[in-house]
Amino acid sequence: MNAAEMVAIVLLVAAAIVGIARVVRRSSLGDRAVALDALTAVITCTLLVGASREDDGLMLDLAVLLGLMGFLASVTVARFIESRKDDQ
Amino acid sequence: MSDLWVTLVDVVSSVLFVAGAALALVGTLGLHRLADTRSRMHAATKPATLGVALCALGAVLQLSSASDVTKVVVVVVLQLVTSPIGAHMLGRAVGDN
Repeated sequence: MNAAEMVAIVLLVAAAIVGIARVVRRSSLGDRAVALDALTAVITCTLLVGASREDDGLMLDLAVLLGLMGFLASVTVARFIESRKDDQ
Repeated sequence: MSDLWVTLVDVVSSVLFVAGAALALVGTLGLHRLADTRSRMHAATKPATLGVALCALGAVLQLSSASDVTKVVVVVVLQLVTSPIGAHMLGRAVGDN
């Protein structure tokens, strides 16, 4: 059981590193927003695995918060991209 | 019988965790591999829904208290409702490039 959770966490950390590389690499604003959206999902998965590992409700509160924040962030960035497109 | 049951639940939740994590890795790799922003969005939305749902199912099998299970359900419902809306708005904003 523990081994499987460790494997899952290693895979999730690898996914986070790959996603961060996508954000840091020179790419367009939309690409970065998409990558950050994916990163939010990866962090949520990590929190869920961690919560079951520790049997800890606090991590689940954080997961709920992260879901809300991630949605607000991607909507805000989308509106920003649209408004910038209108200016041009 | 009870021991067998506990082992079975452990194995199932392990498989779900590893599957969700592998999906997350494949999704972020897709961000690098695919050609344009909309294809990348296609790769990124898979871990956002199915990956989180698999990890949540694995966590539900392990958690002991009912309030924790409720929180997991809230996480999944929130993700399933908000992720398509965010992806839709981003897809419309990104346009044709």
